[in-house]
Formats: sequence, C-alpha cells, structure tokens
Amino acid sequence: MIHVAGLTKFYGPIAALSDASFDVGQGEIIGFLGPNGAGKSTAMRILTGFASATRGTARVAGFEVHSNPLEVKRRVGYLPERVPLYEEMTVKGFLRYVTEVKGVPRMGRTAEVGRVMERCGLGEIGGRLIRNVSKGFRQRVGLAQALVGNPPVLILDEPTVGLDPRQIVDIRQMIKDLGKEHTVLLSTHILPEVAVVCERVIIINQGRIVTQDRLENLAGPGASRTLEDAFIQAISAERREEG
Amino acid sequence: MRNTWAVCKREFKSYFLTPVGYVLVGMVSAITGMAFTLSFLTFAKITQSPGQYSYATVPDFEETFLSPFLVFCGILVMFLSPLITMRSIAEEKHRGTIELLLTYPLRDREIIFGKYLAAMGMVLVMLLPMAVDVSIMSYFVNVETPVLVFGVVTVFLMSAAFISLGLFVSSLTHNQITSAVLCFGIVLMLYVIGNMGGDLPKQAPIPESWPAAAASVAAPAYVLARAVLVEMSLDAHAKEMAQGLFQPKDVAYYVLLSAFFLFLTFRSLESRNWRR
Repeated sequence: MIHVAGLTKFYGPIAALSDASFDVGQGEIIGFLGPNGAGKSTAMRILTGFASATRGTARVAGFEVHSNPLEVKRRVGYLPERVPLYEEMTVKGFLRYVTEVKGVPRMGRTAEVGRVMERCGLGEIGGRLIRNVSKGFRQRVGLAQALVGNPPVLILDEPTVGLDPRQIVDIRQMIKDLGKEHTVLLSTHILPEVAVVCERVIIINQGRIVTQDRLENLAGPGASRTLEDAFIQAISAERREEG
Repeated sequence: MRNTWAVCKREFKSYFLTPVGYVLVGMVSAITGMAFTLSFLTFAKITQSPGQYSYATVPDFEETFLSPFLVFCGILVMFLSPLITMRSIAEEKHRGTIELLLTYPLRDREIIFGKYLAAMGMVLVMLLPMAVDVSIMSYFVNVETPVLVFGVVTVFLMSAAFISLGLFVSSLTHNQITSAVLCFGIVLMLYVIGNMGGDLPKQAPIPESWPAAAASVAAPAYVLARAVLVEMSLDAHAKEMAQGLFQPKDVAYYVLLSAFFLFLTFRSLESRNWRR
C-alpha cells in the first residue's frame, strides 16, 4: 500500500531523512518508532504530500507522491502532530467543510459527518467551538477529519501525545479498530503503545531506518528481550557507527 | 470548481466568525457614509452659489461629486485591503492548518482562487453600504449611467488588484502583522511613486558637461523611467476611469496587477514542492 524507496530530505545542510526505504502492506498497522527529531514527522509529511523529498520516491496505492499528489491525497487521511484545527468553527461545521473538500457527494455529507462523529465519540460536542473543547476531544476531532471520506490509508503523527491515561487507552483502542479496515502508519516515541497497537515496527533514528521487523521478532514472549531493549540497541548501534 | 467554492465559503464565513468582518464593515460604512454626506452637502452648497466656490456656472455633478467619491472608496479599500488579506494564508501557516489544507485533495489553484474570491466577497460586503448611498442618490439625481457603472467597476478592479497583492504577501509569512505591514507598505509605495513621477521634470535634467554619447543614452532612459513611474500610480488610472472614460490601458493596469500577484502567489505556494 505504501512503498518508500531511498527517501532523502535535507533542510539546508541537515539531513532530516536519509535514504529511507520501507513498505507497508494493505491492512497492516505499522508503528513508526524513534526518538524526538528522528525524522518521523518529515517522512509522514512527504507521504501526505505536504513536503517534498530531496531525493527518492514514495508511493501510496501505486501513485507517486510528487508526480501524482491529488490521487495520493484522495487515499490518505492524515492527523498532523500538533493537531491544527480551525479554532473558530464548530466541530460539526469543520467536519462538514472537510467532507466538501474531500469530495464527498453532496447527498452523503450529513451521513458522513454523522459516521465519523460517532466513530470518534464526538456525538455530544458537535455544536461546540473547537477553541473550547478539551485536548482529548481535539485529538478525536483530528482523527475524525482524517477518517472523512473513508480513505484506505491513515497516517497518524503521534496521536496520543498530551492525553491522559484514560484517553490514551481510548484512542489506542480506536486505532486498533481502524486497523481492521485501513492501512495505518502510526508514529510515536512511546514504546508500550507500539506493543499494544502495532503488528510491525519501523525504528528510525537520525533520519535513518535502523530496524524494521514484526513485533514478535523484536520483542515479546518468543524473543529474549523487551521492546525497550530492542529500541535502545537499535539506536545505540547507529551511534557507535558514527563514533 | 466545487472545491474552490468550499474553500471560499469557509474562508468567507470565518471573517464573520471572528470580529474582523464586523469591524471592517462597520468602519467602512461609517467612513463612506460620512464622506458621502459631507461631499454631497458641499456639492449642494456649490450649486446654490457657484460664484462663491470660484465656479462660473453650476459644475458637472459627475465630475465634481460622483467620480471623486468613487475614487475615494477605491482608495479606502486600498488602505483596508491589508487587513482583509493579512490572515488569508499567514494565519493558516501560523496555526498549522496549512498542513491540513495542503494534504486535502485540493489543487493549488482551488485554494488560491477560493481565498481570493472570499476576500473579494468581503470587499463587496464592505462596499454594500456605499452602494446603498449611491442608489438612493441616483433615485433623486439624474446620473449618467455609464459614469456610475464604470465608476463602480473601477472600485471593483482596484480592489481586485489590492486583494491579489495582499494574498501574495500573506503567502510569504507566518505572521499576520508582518503580512499587513508589508502589504500596506507596498501599496503606499506604489501610490507615492506614481505621484512622485508626475512631479519630475518632463525633460531629462542632464548636465551640459556630460559627453553627447552618454546624454543620448541617458535622456531616453530617463523619459522611459518617468513614464513608467507615472503609469505605476495606483490612483491615476482610477481617476480617469471613474469619469466614465474607457481606456484599455487603465483597465489593463488593474487586471495585470491582479494577474501578476496571483501568479506570484501560485509560485509562492508551489515552492514547497520544489525539490531542494
């Protein structure tokens, strides 16, 4: 579903991403793991067509992001890291707008807004201004806008940051459910989250992909180490190489 | 088209979901209302006793009242347009919503035209009170229709140019204040430059001591530069147009100005896709 080859992105002289390659199959939930500033957001921004890569190709559902951005954007729902929203709009008004720009047919818009609101548990706050809703609900509104139009691929940038434990559990469950119908690429630096939600893990450090494997091969009952060990090992191996 | 409309609708609504829209409409209706009343009263006084105002006979209504009033409205838009467009793109960047906007399946042109149309809609709403003033007046006074229609078109064309300039400036920055100040500065500069050009001497002031060859190059260059400066004036073209005088170059001036800055806005938005 997602195919990334040799993706490189420079911000001035700094390489935010260097020669990253990975694949995500249909219906997988992939954890994109790495310390802060590792290049997770950069990779996601390129995949969603928000930023351009310096080199390399990224394909979503067979369409190249740079040369065919519209087709890619039609198939991707994106939750950006800081969850930017139009503060002055109501939750419902905003989601209605999203159905319009995502090209949901006029007749189906009300139903679509209802569907994503129910899916994300926004039933009671539809009429509230986004400015006035809590952090947890903001996150859900962000998730709801990504779900509008039922795109096959969901790209979620740190969906649980800043939430309380209860909300984290809720959002994780929601993502797990979403994984039944969607291909999900989820970035995080919270390890237990990956263990709970994801099937496969891509570990990225200083712009390089250092490990990608199924979760049970990296850690878990069969393996001799925990995910934490695997993570620390992966990113410190990289450091040694540099040193 | 549908997407342009969706962007435009959201953008236009948000002018009125925040105080910006109400403040602008209120201010403009107060200012145009006062200007209209005062200049109308002055005109009435002139018609009573033209001699006192050094007119031989009762002066032309369109020339002494209507055209200057319409040009005044255009200049008012000129000073307020930075406030309309300062948020268009800068605010999206500041809040980060640009990341949503640019990852929705929208073409750049749909985003830019949507925002452009919304800002133009805002100008129209702003000028609505003026339209009421003028239509009440034209009920009582026999106005030359071409002057009225062309005058309104002038105000509209001027606005279109200022809005596209503002949109471009807004696309350059994250900060609304920077956007407004920069736009205001450019508008003011164009305004001043034009008037300054008119004050320069028509003949090139080239010193006698210059060799003939240098003078023969400098003189035409000076004349050309002066002509460009004069034609760059933001209001000179409007003054001619508002008198009902149709000249392609005046219309072209505003249309080209709009097109030029819209083009720059496209490039500015597109620059994110340049492979660096």
